[in-house]
Amino acid sequence: MDLLVQGIVTGVLIGGLYALMSLGISLSWGALKIINLAHFSFILLSAYLVYQLTVTFEVDPLLMTLVVVPAFFVVGVLTQMFFHWAKVDEFKSLIITFGIFIILQSLTQTIWSADFRRISSDLNVYGSGSIIIGGIALPTPVLLAFIVALAIAVVMSFVLGRTYFGKAVRAVAQDPEMARAYGVDTRRVAVILSGLSGAFSAMAGVFIAIGQAIFPGLAVSWFGVVFSVVILGGLGNTVGALTAGVIVGVAAGAAAVTWGPLAAPLVTFVILIAALLFRPEGLLTSRSVA
Amino acid sequence: MTSRARVLTGFVAFGVALFFVPAITETFDLPRFYVIFLFTVFFWIAQASSWNVLTGFSGYFSFGQGAWYGIGVYTVAVLTGKHGWSFISALPVAGLLALIGGLALGFVVFRVRRLTGEIFALTTLAVAFVLASVARITSAIDGGTGVFMTGTPIPEFLGDFNTAMYRMTLVVMLLTVLAAYLTHDSRLGWGLFSIRDDEPVAGGLGVPVFRYKMTALGINAFFAGLMGGVWSLQLGFVTIEDVFNIRVPLFVILMSVLGGLSHWMGPVVGAVIIYTFSDRLNSAGLTDVNQIIIGSLLVILALAVREGIYPRMRERWVTTLVTFGGVIAVVNIFNLTESLITDFAFAMLATVLVLMIPDRLWTRIRGGNDGDDGRPTKERVGPLAEVET
Repeated sequence: MDLLVQGIVTGVLIGGLYALMSLGISLSWGALKIINLAHFSFILLSAYLVYQLTVTFEVDPLLMTLVVVPAFFVVGVLTQMFFHWAKVDEFKSLIITFGIFIILQSLTQTIWSADFRRISSDLNVYGSGSIIIGGIALPTPVLLAFIVALAIAVVMSFVLGRTYFGKAVRAVAQDPEMARAYGVDTRRVAVILSGLSGAFSAMAGVFIAIGQAIFPGLAVSWFGVVFSVVILGGLGNTVGALTAGVIVGVAAGAAAVTWGPLAAPLVTFVILIAALLFRPEGLLTSRSVA
Repeated sequence: MTSRARVLTGFVAFGVALFFVPAITETFDLPRFYVIFLFTVFFWIAQASSWNVLTGFSGYFSFGQGAWYGIGVYTVAVLTGKHGWSFISALPVAGLLALIGGLALGFVVFRVRRLTGEIFALTTLAVAFVLASVARITSAIDGGTGVFMTGTPIPEFLGDFNTAMYRMTLVVMLLTVLAAYLTHDSRLGWGLFSIRDDEPVAGGLGVPVFRYKMTALGINAFFAGLMGGVWSLQLGFVTIEDVFNIRVPLFVILMSVLGGLSHWMGPVVGAVIIYTFSDRLNSAGLTDVNQIIIGSLLVILALAVREGIYPRMRERWVTTLVTFGGVIAVVNIFNLTESLITDFAFAMLATVLVLMIPDRLWTRIRGGNDGDDGRPTKERVGPLAEVET
């Protein structure tokens, strides 16, 4: 019984990490109509950067957030500027970002090799730590990820729902032409949103770097989880992404406890198929951006 | 002769000519490597052509090629390697299982009403990974240990291993390209193109949208699985990492984008060119950078060539022949390379570069006339250019 409760709690927390990983893709797909597969590489690269910087300078890995998050904000901005310049539509965005994904994937492998890398525990105090409440352990890396994901979801939902920028984003998502006609600087909105997407991906990378061993093949293994979360959560819906992340996390965690860790991807995919069959528009559609 | 009769005659002629290549290499004592090279090209032609029936014709972007291919590989590997089936009896099952897998996915995803195209693309991206994890936890399939194929006997009438591989891949490749051609040249093809251009309108005008999409996906999955089944012999030892990786979808996308998505010949041309390059890069010891180059190429091509190389080859066929033949001649006269394949790689590279010159620049070079067919160029850029078939 305890094992199951523990599994569920861990699943909820991991759901936060899943949500964080999915936010970038969900936002840029929902609002900018660009399916950016390169986000998987952004997450992976960010994790590797955190690993490398921590090991090289022997500092607290969480401090690296201050480096990678702004860095990937800039990357996100540049990506969007490139898409604008090349006039990329959805179909092409798939091909092009897939190409970028392949390039970054091979680069990662060339630079860091295919070996497992992990920040050693004397540098990474969070890695193996956990907070114990009532006999249930909350592993620090995913706990932090969950808190950050929750904060981002709440803030983003406020920003998208209540501010001028949010209104502009929703206008762009609905009809870019009309938004432009009414004086919205669509280019700027898109660029900022893409930057934010990059920053969220970098954030996910930080928690992956402190929480687990990293290797280049990881990025491919995220496909299923992230798409399930994106589709179940509804495009561009940050609160939806967190909810969906928790559902997927709990289901995958329960499956891992019951049938072993290798069954988790299968359960994720079943959720994805179920979502497509019954709620293709996402769980919390009414608040969606798109 | 009608155009269909001409193409079919071409098929037969080409098939017969290619069929005797292994015998010719033997007679003239050419390296066996040529045969292996050619049947790998056949493999890629079949994969790219089958992918294009779905993605090129109907516009539904698929990353699922690796999944259908993998189902084919594992079906044959498991049935022959673990259950003692003969190769010939296992092969059709490979195609059928891939077909069933494809249709099952299509049945779910094609019924989603919003964003079907995007959701289809992303789901297919996840499918191969899910199949990999199924294979990994099911010891009846793989169980993480891999499956040995070395004990599988090949039917004797096909000759020694390489010749047998050559003949089987040749037949499957010809069947796949034929299927692509017949799809392209039929009511189904027109329906698929109309789905690509505007699905709601196509549906409204009476195109059986769901059935056509399922058919295209079925053709794609069946031939990918069939060729996968044949290819399991070449792999010999089948592992999850080798089969369910990103390489197959990456290559078929690149090949078709280079060749051109809207004609059945596009992926054939693209497959020949891309595999030749990739093979030369590998033999030059550039394996590490290979994938980086391939990825960059994909980005550049997606940005630079809208309709692919093949339509331009037809439009500027004189230039194509002159460039290709010229480079082959020069390379041979000065004896610059050691291998025939390298000659071809250089010739193809030069041809592709020449063909990639943008239309506007091209007209300027040719003095305001595109030269090849004598029609003034302006006519082709007007709105009517798109109506032209």
